[in-house]
Amino acid sequence: MRFDDMTEAIGNTPLVRIDPAVHGLRQIDLYAKMELLNPFGSLKDRAALQMVRPLLAGAAERGDTVVELSSGNTAKALAMIAGMHGVPFKSVTNRMKVPEIKDLLLLLGAEIDELPGQAECLDPTDTEDPLSRMHRTLSANGSGYVHTDQYFNEQNVEAHLHGTGPEIVKDLDGRAPDFFFACVGTAGSSTGVARALRQHDPDVRVVGLVAAKSDFIPGIRTIDEVHEVGLFDPGVYDTVDTITSDDAVDGLLTLVRRCGTPAGPTGGGAFQGAVRHLRALDPTLTSRKTAVFIVCDRVESYLSYLRERRPALFGRPPRRNDTRDLAADEIAAAPTVDVEEAARWPGLIVDLRNPHAYQALHIDGSINIVDELFAEMLHGGLPFGRRQPVLLVCPVGEKSARYAALLTRMGHPAVRSLAGGIIAWRDAGARLVRD
Amino acid sequence: MTDSRPLPLTPRIEPDTQSVLAEEALLRQLVDGLGSPLNVVLPDALAANVEAFRAVYRHHRLRGRIYFAHKANRSAALLRRLAAAEVAVDVASLEELQHALGAGFTPDRIIATGPKNREFLWLAARTGVIVSADSPDELDELAALGRAPVRVMVRLSGFVSPGVQMISRRSRFGVPSEQLTEALDRVEKHAGRLELVGIAYHLDTIGIPEKAIALEGCLTALDECRRRGLPVWSIDIGGGFGVNYLADGEQWERWTSELARAVLGHRPPLTWNEHGYGLRNEAGTLRGALGLYPAFRPVSGAGYLDQLLSTVAPAQRRPLGELLLDSMADLDIEPGRALLDQCGLVLARVLEVRSEGPDTLVRLEANARDVSLEEHGVLMDPVLIPHRSDEPTEVFLLGNLCLESDLITRRRVTLPARPRPGDLLAFVNTAGYFMDFSASRALHQPIARKVAVHRAGERWSWCLDEHYWPVPEREEAA
Ligand SMILES: Cc1ncc(COP(=O)(O)O)c(C=O)c1O
Ligand SMILES: Cc1ncc(COP(=O)(O)O)c(C=O)c1O
Repeated sequence: MRFDDMTEAIGNTPLVRIDPAVHGLRQIDLYAKMELLNPFGSLKDRAALQMVRPLLAGAAERGDTVVELSSGNTAKALAMIAGMHGVPFKSVTNRMKVPEIKDLLLLLGAEIDELPGQAECLDPTDTEDPLSRMHRTLSANGSGYVHTDQYFNEQNVEAHLHGTGPEIVKDLDGRAPDFFFACVGTAGSSTGVARALRQHDPDVRVVGLVAAKSDFIPGIRTIDEVHEVGLFDPGVYDTVDTITSDDAVDGLLTLVRRCGTPAGPTGGGAFQGAVRHLRALDPTLTSRKTAVFIVCDRVESYLSYLRERRPALFGRPPRRNDTRDLAADEIAAAPTVDVEEAARWPGLIVDLRNPHAYQALHIDGSINIVDELFAEMLHGGLPFGRRQPVLLVCPVGEKSARYAALLTRMGHPAVRSLAGGIIAWRDAGARLVRD
Repeated sequence: MTDSRPLPLTPRIEPDTQSVLAEEALLRQLVDGLGSPLNVVLPDALAANVEAFRAVYRHHRLRGRIYFAHKANRSAALLRRLAAAEVAVDVASLEELQHALGAGFTPDRIIATGPKNREFLWLAARTGVIVSADSPDELDELAALGRAPVRVMVRLSGFVSPGVQMISRRSRFGVPSEQLTEALDRVEKHAGRLELVGIAYHLDTIGIPEKAIALEGCLTALDECRRRGLPVWSIDIGGGFGVNYLADGEQWERWTSELARAVLGHRPPLTWNEHGYGLRNEAGTLRGALGLYPAFRPVSGAGYLDQLLSTVAPAQRRPLGELLLDSMADLDIEPGRALLDQCGLVLARVLEVRSEGPDTLVRLEANARDVSLEEHGVLMDPVLIPHRSDEPTEVFLLGNLCLESDLITRRRVTLPARPRPGDLLAFVNTAGYFMDFSASRALHQPIARKVAVHRAGERWSWCLDEHYWPVPEREEAA
């Protein structure tokens, strides 16, 4: 395979059979459409390319910026494609809740605008939401923007009608599957694939998957929000099922641990939703059926999402010299000095506060090691000699007491904590300096 | 799959309010004697809210003042009770300042905020309260008025964030953060007449990310003050902590889902004239945004403050509470709505009940400005007094003005029984903004009287709001 540029690697993803030992369905062959293998990381590469390709030349000429309302994958693909043509890209969103994705987009050179939260005091005359207002500014002529408009752009459907859908049929030896499952974000992929499959077999059962209300699965809509999507047509789906973020994570774990598939949450949700739906039908079937679901993107961008929901998955081995292992009486017994004695301290003074606060005001002669860093250092052992007297300083004397107790336990004989912290120091009128 | 069950939005009612509602005879007497509508405030209910905020301070090891935003309610009883509870007060007009001084707040426990006229500034400067300055010119004006140095805060707005650009609604108030230097120059120019004590913001948003950016912006401003040698120790983060109005999140979700379906024409309307509360149907797609307060808010009030303080600052990537502590900054807050959670209710008498086609219309002796729930987009069902629950009934509530728009609710509310003329409806949890903020004397109709109720042994006893003083009972001579 030899290509002229990365966009040629978009599409032609494999259709991979899921081991029946994993899903337990007797009469149904379940296949995953591996969209995570697209070069920019997701199914949205297809739609992004299809939507932006006709706009790029004009945008480059006028110096316009490509803009899209996207919380992740579309933005990622657009940023990279636009970047290949020297065109800037901006993403406007209020849905980008996964910090790694934000950081990744910034790394790709995208600009991100975040929409504001709702007003606490309602303005009843303000009936326009920030999104509609934004939409209007973007579509005005001469705005300096070209808007790919994924929620309303038919090209988003076309990409899957002519790409994803026919590929599935080809890989099933010219037949459409009996069941097709897809998560619904913009509805572009599910609508396009459903159309392509039904051209082969009008009886394909299409199941759209959305998040339960007030739940959050990055990349897709909740049962209420789908109605705000221009491309969403309820007629496309035989059923719209809801999945929870728990389902998504369960399915993700099965795919990554049992199926060699590093899928993101919507891939997991599609797997879980498909298996649940099919399990109910499986016992009633008398002939073999096939089902296909989409694995939209990869797991790596969702570590913080997973950490938040399943902290137990990330349980790290315990580390030595950790303040969390101290007993309450050890902390209570931590050696302290008061402000007066601290003012005459002969040794090292370590200020555990953040660098900004330290630089703004600190005790003359102290050095700054922010507590997180200090904790790291102590995991490795004593960072100063036993004969060196050390005074620890924090805001109110609590953190410093914990570290003093820990250092005492580690065998340091001359460590002290400033009682009441730097706030007590200030309240006593003792001198604070800045350099 | 049309859902034809009633769609109640049951208010959250804490035990104190519940036990006042149980005093049916007393409530009826009060309305008979003082007229409908009638505002009832519960000064005793304030303590729990104050304590919840204080607990968050303790948890984060922070110090600072809780300023009650007086604008949320004009009640004297509530104000005097807060004066007794060692809370401070945020006043936003000359009259509010006079009221606060008269309620027992000493000037060191008062902050003047918002847009101010000269008289307001004069009294603030004379009495020595802290003034949260909205503009550099206000600093000049104050410097010209005071005898002793006037203590000021500078209110900032328009904060910018690193990396991700946060689009915030434009604000009329405060000094744009990029003009901080200019504002501090003014303060230094008036050294001796102005004493800068803090940096402030108040943002009208429920969004934590915007507030996190603002709070970190204030910390940066504090550093700048210290660089100039100005000893500034406070950050005032304004109000907007929110209230959870509803008992049941599922009811709220069901109601909002059904509203969306109604707007799309998938079910019969829930509202008067198919009002969409900001949603509209454009070619089968739902457009617009729900213009309603998120009435079910499990994280609100003190819990919201806790969440904000636990939020990791976008630039320094350390929790905001810890950054405040590190900087030795006191945290001041100005909660209005959240401090008045469960502290009052509005009573209104039913005048007429009639059926019109499928609808039941209930006209009240009160109007939409007396109970301004609709105006503020807060949806909760009222409580029927006397209590009956034989026939759940959905009704529209109409007001007593000659205006088509005078609807106390533009949606059907669910009552446990069909109301009868002479019944009372209690609109609970209305002390924060819904009681007297908008009330007017249109048509010469009286503005509601206000009474304070307080416990007297097992029973509730009452007095006119202006007669309430939190004086301890005299010890009975034995
Ligand atoms: C992770 C993820 N899964 C699924 C989808 C759904 O795809 P579509 O927008 O075509 O409905 C998206 C779309 O943004 C997504 O980002
Ligand atoms: C400056 C200021 N502080 C505090 C408040 C009180 O806000 P809330 O009642 O939402 O807490 C307001 C409300 O408008 C305000 O403008």
